[in-house]
Amino acid sequence: MSGARVVVEHLSRAYGPAVVLDDVSFVVEPGELVALTGPSGSGKTTLLQLIGSLDRPTSGRVLVDEASVGELRHPAEFRRDTVGFVFQLHYLLPALSAQSNVELPLMAAGVSRRERAERAVDLLEKVGLGDRAGARPSELSGGERQRVAIARALAGRPRLILADEPTGALDSVASHRVWELLSDACARSGATVIVASHDATLAEHADRELHIYDGHLAKPSVLVPAETTP
Amino acid sequence: MSTLIQTLGNLRGRPGRTILTALGTALGIATIVALLAVVGGVKHSAGDLVNLGPSELGLFQADAADPTTSILSTTLITRLDHTPGIASATPLILLVNGLPKAPGSIVFGAEPHSFVSQGLVYSSGGQYSSGSQIALGDTLAQQLHATAGQTVTIDHRRLQVTGIYHNGIAFQDAGAFIPLSTAQALTGRPGETTSIVVKLDPATKPATAQHTITKRFPGIQIISDAQQATRAGVSGDLISQFGLVIVVLALLLGGIGVANTMLMAVIERRSEFALLSAVGFNGPQIAGRVLVESIVTTILGAGIGLLLGVIGAQLLVDALGAQTFVNPQITAWDLGRGLLVGVLLGALGGLYPAWRAAHVSPARVLAQH
Repeated sequence: MSGARVVVEHLSRAYGPAVVLDDVSFVVEPGELVALTGPSGSGKTTLLQLIGSLDRPTSGRVLVDEASVGELRHPAEFRRDTVGFVFQLHYLLPALSAQSNVELPLMAAGVSRRERAERAVDLLEKVGLGDRAGARPSELSGGERQRVAIARALAGRPRLILADEPTGALDSVASHRVWELLSDACARSGATVIVASHDATLAEHADRELHIYDGHLAKPSVLVPAETTP
Repeated sequence: MSTLIQTLGNLRGRPGRTILTALGTALGIATIVALLAVVGGVKHSAGDLVNLGPSELGLFQADAADPTTSILSTTLITRLDHTPGIASATPLILLVNGLPKAPGSIVFGAEPHSFVSQGLVYSSGGQYSSGSQIALGDTLAQQLHATAGQTVTIDHRRLQVTGIYHNGIAFQDAGAFIPLSTAQALTGRPGETTSIVVKLDPATKPATAQHTITKRFPGIQIISDAQQATRAGVSGDLISQFGLVIVVLALLLGGIGVANTMLMAVIERRSEFALLSAVGFNGPQIAGRVLVESIVTTILGAGIGLLLGVIGAQLLVDALGAQTFVNPQITAWDLGRGLLVGVLLGALGGLYPAWRAAHVSPARVLAQH
């Protein structure tokens, strides 16, 4: 399985008079791990939501493997088949066990119960929570919850992983572990990963960094490799 | 199956809300079941009011509200006796609420030597004959602690008990027989009767006799079996319609209650539905989960409601003091209808909340956090 190619073309998003994203363009190649950095309120979350078809642009477009995601008739199916989301807040369903939470995207896809269970257990083992499959979110630490959320994002074998401040609520050790898991997922499955974070130091884990400020891409024409970023 | 398991998990996770919603549904369904049972019992009782043999017809005034309010002239008896195919005709008066100590009992006024009175089988004492005598059904006698030789009072008139009978007809065993003239005096309607019971010649088919009587005696309604008696009464129809109104009201109120509770649940859990949408659940899938949750909750309520309804039906009859002549009739169909109402409540009450859940904007909700 290869990652998705993401092309963002002159993308803008406004809520009434407030322009959150203004004419943003860039390309993410398949299998890349890209860090989307910038201060809070700079438009990172909006950009990820537009790429992931959770929202529609005011103008411009996002192409994921040639498909214009803002014009999809069935965006839920696109998300189910192509995208894995990780949010700052884990958004685990409190009534479900860790395993059932991981199974959710597979349920949406109509995967058989047996296969769901096998894949969920396998993923939980990969994120180091094989022994916590039956635990409820309230019984897990913050880092563990986020690892369950990553396992959930990987469950549908997505070609594009969008992570919005996945380490925002974690301590440094847990943050490091989350980044490792995302890097590992990118390397193993070949998925394209875009991680939004206000912490620029975490960008050192990425293949390259895109910096966004006040809805503008800082260097829209130059894709700066992460290792050259100060 | 997984959706159901997850739904049960969701419901367990919010026990207070689940129990309250289920209880609201339970009360609505209990009301429906209890009313259906009582209406069924009343209808069944109405059918028993006029217990007719295979070659007998009951004649009532057409358009009477119910069999007890019919008024016919006794002059019809002679004309009926001369009608081809009729062996005998006898008047029968039905007195309701004649006995203050047994308000549900019916006192029948019949000629002592008529075929109606002659059908009574006495376990003690014997047949009544004079105007101040009364024969009690054994159920009524037990209720009044009365025996043959004692007196009972009907409308300030003291009547001597000549015998205690039992003939297996609930209304008659829970009632009493007095002479027709006494009954006419008590009602203040000399020369009138509530109904006329007609015995046919053995060779006459009931349908033929009905046709003849209808032709000769316009304004008379003929009843040949208990089912017809049930259908004949306007009161029976009113009771049925009243029951239907209550059912519809319970459905409406219950549906609104369920809709309100489920809507609150959806609003509280917007982030959950936004997350489901983000991980790939489409609108119908999300709506389906809400509907399943709503229906499971109301089925749970229906289970409790059916139980409460069965208990409530008897309590309702007791509270109305009608236990002597109304025995709540609860059929499997009544219970099935109760359950069906539960499913309907869940489905109808869950529709709008399901629509709301399916249209939660993941971008807006997840960004708010």
